[in-house]
Amino acid sequence: MKTKQDFPSINEREPDGLKPDGTPFRVLVVDDSMFVAKQIGQILTSEGYEVAATAADGQEGVEKYKELFPNIDLVTMDITMPKMDGITALEHIMNFDKNAKVVMISALGKQDLVKKSLLLGAKNYIVKPLDRKKVLERIAQVLGKTSTA
Amino acid sequence: MRVEYINPFVEAAFNVLKEVLNTDIKRGELYLKSTTMPVLGVAALVGLAGDVEGRVMFDMTKQTALAVASTMNGEQLSSLDELAKATITELANMITAQAVTKLHDLGFRFDLTPPALFTGDNMEVSDHEVEALIVPMETPQGKIEINVAIRERA
Repeated sequence: MKTKQDFPSINEREPDGLKPDGTPFRVLVVDDSMFVAKQIGQILTSEGYEVAATAADGQEGVEKYKELFPNIDLVTMDITMPKMDGITALEHIMNFDKNAKVVMISALGKQDLVKKSLLLGAKNYIVKPLDRKKVLERIAQVLGKTSTA
Repeated sequence: MRVEYINPFVEAAFNVLKEVLNTDIKRGELYLKSTTMPVLGVAALVGLAGDVEGRVMFDMTKQTALAVASTMNGEQLSSLDELAKATITELANMITAQAVTKLHDLGFRFDLTPPALFTGDNMEVSDHEVEALIVPMETPQGKIEINVAIRERA
């Protein structure tokens, strides 16, 4: 049964999580909090993104990125984590793939931390608490899905 | 303890709770405790060390913790399981981080410990030589006490 034909869509807008070819953008979620990883996952999947993998610390994040590469489109990166923090993990990922799209997600909004992340190549910095709209806007922007800056 | 240390925590708690619970929060009267005091049942504690030192505690009953965690997850949680605990820990983390960002901008430099979560009945907390300021926050999920004991490093 082809549901698309059976149920005409009222909302013509394509979900932001889909590439022009209709396949979902694949995201790696790096966060040591079970709650935050779940929250980010729910926000992303609700808009059609696919959570390709999750990692609970920076070291695991870097390893998973290398495993998934090049079949990975975006990384959300927490900062305060055990074993390896998110800033160090960001450096490792950028060294491995200079075109990596990493978005920092942290409760800390300290200016020097934001500046450092952006200088190291992070594409955006989201301060928690997470708001669905804010997260989706910033991520779509990083993936070049919207023209609104 | 100087009031300027507690204000960022109260403001941050107010803002974060309002946002994650998506409701109005009522701030209760601030009070001071210098001796041992009872803990309500679930307490998330974050330590601070640097220009100032001490700890911040977010204290609530188990019932309130469950209600808060359920709201934040958008689903009814029936026990204080790993997810519920991770949720309360993250709440403490968000409030503390926002307050620290503010204090950092005011020129105070210090580090935070990851939040530790204590659960149990009949617990007490004693702060040796540091008085604690407590600000109760009334939410529809129940009362959350912001308990701050900080001093300037000698």
